Amino acid sequence: MAGRLLHDLPSKGNFSASTNAGSISSTGLRFYVCDHDTSPPEDQIIKTDTKNILIRSLTLKKSKSDSKVKDKQRPGFEGKAKRPAEKTADERMTSKRTNTGSGSTFSSRKENSLTERDLQGLTVEKLRSLLKERNLPRTGKKEELVARLKQSLK
Amino acid sequence: MSIWNYVVTAHKPTNVTHSCVGNFTGAQELNLIIAKCTRIEIHLLTPQGLQPMLDVPIYGRISTLELFKPQGEAQDFLFILTERYKFCVLQWDAEAGELVTRAMGDVSDRIGRPTDNGQIGIIDPDCRLIGLHLYDGLFKVIPIDSKGQLKEAFNIRLEELQVLDIKFLYGCSKPTIAVLFQDNRDARHVKTYEVLLKEKDFADGPWVQNNLDNGAGLLIPVPLPLGGVIIIGEQTIVYYNGFVFKAISIQPAITRAYGRVDADGSRYLLSDLTGMLHLLVITHEKDRVTGLKVERLGETSAASTISYLDNAVVYVGSSYGDSQLIKLNLQPDSKGSYVEVLESFVNLGPIVDFCVVDLERQGQGQVVTCSGAFKDGTLRIVRNGIGINEQASAELPGIKGMWSLRASSKDVYDTFLVVTFISETRILAINAEDELEETEIEGFDSDAQTLFCQNVLHDQLIQVTASSLRLVDAISRRQLNEWRAPPGLSINVAAASSSQVLLATGGGHLVYIEIGQRELIEVKHVKLEYEISCLDINPVGEDPDRSYLAVVGMWTDITARIFSLPNLELLTKHSLGGEIIPRSVLFCTFEGIPYLLCALGDGHLFNFILDVNTGQLSDRKKVSLGTQPITLRTFRSKNATHVFAASDRPTVIYSSNRKLLYSNVNLKEVNYMCPFNSASFPDSLAIGKEGELTIGTIDDIQKLHIRTVPLNEHARRIAHQEATRTFAICSAKYIPTVEDMETHFVRLLDDQTFENIASFQLDAYENGCSIISCSFTDDNNVYYCVGTGYAIPEESEPNKGRILVFLVEDGKLQLVAEKETKGAVYNLNAFNGKLLAAINHKIHLYKWTLRDDGTRELQSECGHHGHILALFVQSRGDFIVMGDLMKSISLLIYKPEEGAIEECARDYNANWMSAVEILDDDIYLGAENSFNLFTVRKNSDAATDEERSKLEVVGEYHLGEFVNRFRHGSLVMRLPDSETSQIPTVIFGTVNGVIGVIASLPQEQYMFLHKLQQNLVKVIKGVGGLSHEQWRSFSNERKTVDAKNFLDGDLIESFLDLSRSRMEEISTAMSVPVEELCKRVEELTRLH
Repeated sequence: MAGRLLHDLPSKGNFSASTNAGSISSTGLRFYVCDHDTSPPEDQIIKTDTKNILIRSLTLKKSKSDSKVKDKQRPGFEGKAKRPAEKTADERMTSKRTNTGSGSTFSSRKENSLTERDLQGLTVEKLRSLLKERNLPRTGKKEELVARLKQSLK
Repeated sequence: MSIWNYVVTAHKPTNVTHSCVGNFTGAQELNLIIAKCTRIEIHLLTPQGLQPMLDVPIYGRISTLELFKPQGEAQDFLFILTERYKFCVLQWDAEAGELVTRAMGDVSDRIGRPTDNGQIGIIDPDCRLIGLHLYDGLFKVIPIDSKGQLKEAFNIRLEELQVLDIKFLYGCSKPTIAVLFQDNRDARHVKTYEVLLKEKDFADGPWVQNNLDNGAGLLIPVPLPLGGVIIIGEQTIVYYNGFVFKAISIQPAITRAYGRVDADGSRYLLSDLTGMLHLLVITHEKDRVTGLKVERLGETSAASTISYLDNAVVYVGSSYGDSQLIKLNLQPDSKGSYVEVLESFVNLGPIVDFCVVDLERQGQGQVVTCSGAFKDGTLRIVRNGIGINEQASAELPGIKGMWSLRASSKDVYDTFLVVTFISETRILAINAEDELEETEIEGFDSDAQTLFCQNVLHDQLIQVTASSLRLVDAISRRQLNEWRAPPGLSINVAAASSSQVLLATGGGHLVYIEIGQRELIEVKHVKLEYEISCLDINPVGEDPDRSYLAVVGMWTDITARIFSLPNLELLTKHSLGGEIIPRSVLFCTFEGIPYLLCALGDGHLFNFILDVNTGQLSDRKKVSLGTQPITLRTFRSKNATHVFAASDRPTVIYSSNRKLLYSNVNLKEVNYMCPFNSASFPDSLAIGKEGELTIGTIDDIQKLHIRTVPLNEHARRIAHQEATRTFAICSAKYIPTVEDMETHFVRLLDDQTFENIASFQLDAYENGCSIISCSFTDDNNVYYCVGTGYAIPEESEPNKGRILVFLVEDGKLQLVAEKETKGAVYNLNAFNGKLLAAINHKIHLYKWTLRDDGTRELQSECGHHGHILALFVQSRGDFIVMGDLMKSISLLIYKPEEGAIEECARDYNANWMSAVEILDDDIYLGAENSFNLFTVRKNSDAATDEERSKLEVVGEYHLGEFVNRFRHGSLVMRLPDSETSQIPTVIFGTVNGVIGVIASLPQEQYMFLHKLQQNLVKVIKGVGGLSHEQWRSFSNERKTVDAKNFLDGDLIESFLDLSRSRMEEISTAMSVPVEELCKRVEELTRLH
């Protein structure tokens, strides 16, 4: 019965010699002594992202919605419906703020009320992207970028 | 013993935990890779069978072994995860023959509860990520980019806390996992999740399957085109892919391992706990699954891993029995099994208990282990060194030399054995009745001591005596020619090849003679400045009949000199140093490498690599084999040449991995040896011992010899009784027909035949927990005492047990006394003529009293409370060392005057113990359940009571093995005057089948080796970039500290496997000559 199911077992030609197929003998095993450098390439020493999962997901959401804001500022763009939780959070945030325009988000609120300190807290990359949105030159040191942004916000 | 301990493996782990098949060593090469806990083995599949390649030590306990092939790669990479949260990705560099580390890292998290069901490591079939489940509620992802590079890992919350298995599904656009888990109502479900690499989160997967078999424990993902997953339960097997649901009910079985047969995933092999192998077939019409089929194939060892190799050959790796290579036959055999076992690979694990005995009473320790589990339970007799199986022997005192001769050059077998004495030579031959009988060779001088004789060309024989060299016709046995030593000089030593003779006479004359047909031609004669002590012209070049080199050992200047033949020109003069003359020199070839061996009068041996063309010597090494002069002789066994070194410590020298190895022969003293391959005693050796001539065959040339005694039941405890020459074991027989019932026995075995002489069946639920052989005060009998416990399923801890006292009478187990206890008797110890028992949380001392009616009984004398579970007890004098379930080691003392046991001191660490042993009065050794070893010391000289009451931790070490038992003893023969015999040793046995040795070293030696180890760590790197220091650091849930006062013998002994240049590197760093280092390490290898 089972013999029928054992037909056509895969074979690549190993164990085909008619002599005894098995021949593991521990004596034939070469003992491997590793006397070469075994450290991996520098970028392949893998570490774990130590950021707390909750914080990470919040920042990820934030950056996601950031990009949404950017999208929104493009004319004719209609954002998709947000998840209820996000929405309520946004609403709560926005309610505290007076100077919000259209359905703005967490970061756009911040952006609109940017102080120098807030700007200093942003990364250069972030600053550059903000400058780009305002069609301003994106070169220079961080202080210059902050100054330029401040100028534009005034 | 001391606090400076050297830990070394005598028998490597054999428990196979993982295996996989893939193109690891080359794009076209198919490999089988086997993990044996702390080692991996790489084999190559060939038409002739499995070809072993490499044995690789890993600095960690392997928890996951997976092969994967990222896109665009020709070869598979090997992913290894260790239990201490280190992982590495290895690649084989075929050119260099090295394992290259592609990536490595630490995947531990600062917080998190390690999973209960073991670590899970899986790789996406499309190689987009590696998924790890190491802590409850977390799933770790190591992304792999399109170039096969690993990226920063991250954790994802996994809602399911009790995960049983996780697998990646095939053919999903986003990497998708199926999670088999148990909810808090103990119901089991499978849920799928998509892994979103960008969002670093899960999204709900395509399907969920709730309420599975209660015993569902294994997921098998099915490759495309079918896709989906097979869920293996205890009573059902289910296939589901989101649309199609197929189920089949099976005979109740706990499936532990599976192996995929076809690449399309239509057939699988399943193995259950009883070792039954099943074939699972998914029947399908094109891509549509129509059903499942299960067929029983036959029985194997209970598998922990199954790898289908090729051409119906399957590797079955086992933790509980021998691993096997099996073939699936189309036709069943007479028992209805489709399984044919091609080869079995010995597995000693799990070693639950063992004892060290000297069965042959030769001073040679043997270890008898309780190995294997369930139906694969066995006793294994592990012996070090090479045994001689005696076939015939005769009293023959005063042997001065032996040679075997063939009656004609054409003969295959030897006929004559020439035995020489101080003033005569006797010729023995095997007669028609297969007996050795004295005979004559007419042409030989039988009234003189023979110095040498041999078959030579043209069907002739030669005999060398002090006065002459005779050439004798082999057929007529008449003398044909004679060369006489010059008057006043006598021949001292001689050697010959088939066509040449080299003689040395007194006065330093060296005479070279060539053998012709019926003639002896003196070709060359030189006079050396000193006397000649030994010489050899064994051909090592291409011509087997003719040597172009001669080696001569000299008196006075203590040199070995190489001469060319036939000119007798000095090629090399090598000073051996010291004042001991060389007694035996020998040319020989091992694994194609020509060597010169040179043995001294004090038992030391030099070996050199010989350049056959120039006669130059290199790579000098020195080892100490014994203390008496050594005589070297070659012999052949199993188509390989070996050298027998006869001395007070006979040794066989052989070569493995191009390294010379020295293995003890289990004989006390051998003066002369010669191979004697006769028709009635094929492949035998003739051995001349003190007053005796023995003919015997030799074991396989390897270090450890293992004999297996199958029991078909699980042996748990063993004790040996010298007086009755028996073993007693506690064993459990599992009868599958009766629902979950085990029957427990005490069995008596003969210590020679291992035959079961008598059995005593224990009550239902009664387990044998301990067994010892002991005697009591005022009683001459020797008893077996057995401690038991009733493991009643409803009770969390046994509260009833017995102590049974047996007397062996007429091959029967007579129960002479019985004592009920209030708990399981975990341990028994003979204690100054009384019996010390550890019963649950209590230590109890019983005395053996005589009742009025003349019968005996055990009477409780005193006890000591306050432990969690007193599992391990050892005693020495009035001191008791106890290993508690979770409170480390305590030291108790019995006060005979007060009749009380009191605690003196304890170790305040919370170590969960697995074994304890007393090393000496003050130092105790413990093993705990996180695979660590530690030593503690009693502080009896401390100033305050507080300090005195504390056992100070003096040594810590991570062994990486779960030790079940320590025993004092040694695997090697103890000779009174060898250096290593002064070193006390403890043997341990572990779950993985490791037998190891812990040796206490003198401080000076420890310091030296410690320095060597530090230097070795710089040269020998951990495979996969794993660190040796981290691996050996003592580590459990509570703390991690660097190893101290323990040396890693496995690392130190791998010094001998290093290339010469690496050895020199270390030698320079240590400013110790290579030769000295080799010698000292070589000595250590003789501890096991």
